[in-house]
Amino acid sequence: MTVPPRGKPWLGPMLWLALALPAARHALEATMTLHMLVQIPLLAIAGWWLRPLLPRGAVKSLAAWNRGGISGLLLASLAAMVWMLPRALDAALEEPWIEMAKFIGVPLLIGVPLAVSWPHAGFVVRGVFLAEVIATAFRLGWLFLLAPQRWCSNYLLSDQQRLGKAMLAIGVAISLLLAWKLMWGRIDADGTRRL
Amino acid sequence: MASLAMYPDDERLAGAARAAFNLYMITAVVLFVLMMLIGLTMRMAQATWLNVPPALFYELLSMHGAGMVGTMSLATTAVMWFFLRKYVRLRLWAFVTNYVLFLLGALCVVLSIFSGGYGALWTFLYPLPIHGMGMWTPGSSALFMVGNLLIGVGSLLFYLDAAAGIIEVHGNLGRALGLQWLLGGTIDPDHPKAVVAGTMVIISNSLGILAGAVALVMSLVNILYPEVVLDALVAKNLIYWFGHQYINATIYMGVIAVYELLPRYTGRPYPISRPFLWSWAVSTVFVITVFPHHLLMDFAQPRWLAITGQLVSWGAGFPVFLVTAYGALTNLYRSDIRWTMPSRLLILSMFGWAAGIVPAILDGTIRNNLVMHNTQWVPGHFHFYLLIGVLSMVLALMFHVIGRRAHAPPNSRADKLGFPVYLMGGLVFVFAFLDAGHLSVPRRMAEHLPAWTFTDKIGSIGAMLVVLAMLYFTIRIMAGLLKAPSAGSAGVGIADAAG
Repeated sequence: MTVPPRGKPWLGPMLWLALALPAARHALEATMTLHMLVQIPLLAIAGWWLRPLLPRGAVKSLAAWNRGGISGLLLASLAAMVWMLPRALDAALEEPWIEMAKFIGVPLLIGVPLAVSWPHAGFVVRGVFLAEVIATAFRLGWLFLLAPQRWCSNYLLSDQQRLGKAMLAIGVAISLLLAWKLMWGRIDADGTRRL
Repeated sequence: MASLAMYPDDERLAGAARAAFNLYMITAVVLFVLMMLIGLTMRMAQATWLNVPPALFYELLSMHGAGMVGTMSLATTAVMWFFLRKYVRLRLWAFVTNYVLFLLGALCVVLSIFSGGYGALWTFLYPLPIHGMGMWTPGSSALFMVGNLLIGVGSLLFYLDAAAGIIEVHGNLGRALGLQWLLGGTIDPDHPKAVVAGTMVIISNSLGILAGAVALVMSLVNILYPEVVLDALVAKNLIYWFGHQYINATIYMGVIAVYELLPRYTGRPYPISRPFLWSWAVSTVFVITVFPHHLLMDFAQPRWLAITGQLVSWGAGFPVFLVTAYGALTNLYRSDIRWTMPSRLLILSMFGWAAGIVPAILDGTIRNNLVMHNTQWVPGHFHFYLLIGVLSMVLALMFHVIGRRAHAPPNSRADKLGFPVYLMGGLVFVFAFLDAGHLSVPRRMAEHLPAWTFTDKIGSIGAMLVVLAMLYFTIRIMAGLLKAPSAGSAGVGIADAAG
């Protein structure tokens, strides 16, 4: 993922607003799979694309607190954990203020920290982050598949199990992609010298 | 190609690097002795020479298994670091972080066992750890698992740093493995074998650790929320995928010492070749896919997985081993090898690895496995290649390093006595296990029937000899490592290698 094409800093806010439109919101919250694997990642991408709009001074002053991108990636991971909980998805559907928190929190606490931190992260930090992403996809996928009852009162058990299968597939896909990249791809040598 | 100078300058250890290496090696030898004493206690209990209550026996068995696997990994990681740092940039913080996380993890494991009574063995096979039946609590199992997670994270950090260093020099892991030369082209004679072996370990063990991390966290979820019931067969597959690769990685990290040191003692180059690269490439695939041979007894396992485990285990043991053993023998043949402690241990390690593979392949055959899987044949096989194979590789490097500080490879009278005691003790110890397996004596049993105790007694005598030799090695190595390096210890040339 990259920053929006040069000269198009409005892409982030546009995507953010588009996702907030009632039609888009209802469509993407209709199933647990779409909610967790499409709407929330798109909100994070909208946050990533907000990066060019951030004041330069603020980014610069935060850099001292974000060596190697570690703090930002940690913040994004912790915020993402919240939106992996079925209870949080349920609450977002039932409580408007939690839905609001999702629409503000995911772009600002996941997307923006990722956009600010990823370029500063070296090979080891990115490796740890991606290893945890893969492990989390497998753990959550397994959990959603084996749960004997539904964990969201708004979604069916079959939907929850479909989400589990999708997460396992995502874990496999990221693993294969990374394996290919590491074995045969071109890797930024500069990144290997950083933390 | 690896240097033929006995003590090249680029291997010199100084300052923080020396302190870290010493910490690794001293910790390793001390832990080896402690774990061996635990092992001896268990063998003597089975021989009815000691009275050890069954609950304590399983605690000791858990400690011995987890402790030996972890310590072997710690020591061979130091072997890989010692040689790989000559060819790629390794950051000391990653090496030290691995050590610190290992210690923290080990502390959790020790507390879970001796304070919490955990006795579900190092394989933490679901659902046994969760059901202690009053002997241990789920909390102590959780502590054991957290300890394993810490140790795994430490290893992963070290591998990521090593991968970064290798990619910085070679572009990607495929080129580091030498895949570009498999089908043709001129092989770079300076392509380091340490990089090839290290890359294989990084690929396979990172995957294994990832699988272990998934199984461990899911087991922790089950401890916290018992209503979340895991599929025991999936958990077992993940655990053995992790466990097989983790312990196998110790051979592949340890064998770097053979590639690097043997040519110096024989005085002959040990060039890289196409068969060598093929063997490591094939073994990379095999070591990742061979784990189902641990589950041949699981009737619910899909048949295709069992057949995969069977077929791959017939092949997995051979490629790297054959190429390495053949290379070592041709390197040795008609050479003016100087028989000192490091060279003796290097050759012994080849024998231990070779002989240890044979019972493994026998046991990896479904028909044999039905009869032998739960017998002492299995500890006979893995003690063979770990005690006489991998530990000898590690000891060879330790003796080599203390030789640098004494200006000559160690070869004192006590060394000459200690080596055969270790060898004879080791052989008696492992053959007692193998013979017990042949007699169908079950493994993992705290109490043995009178008919089984003969091999237990023979095994205990062998273990006593091994402990005796290892105690001597430990004192010798600790004294040697802690000795201040003298100003003139650099660059002893090839003449010394030929001796």
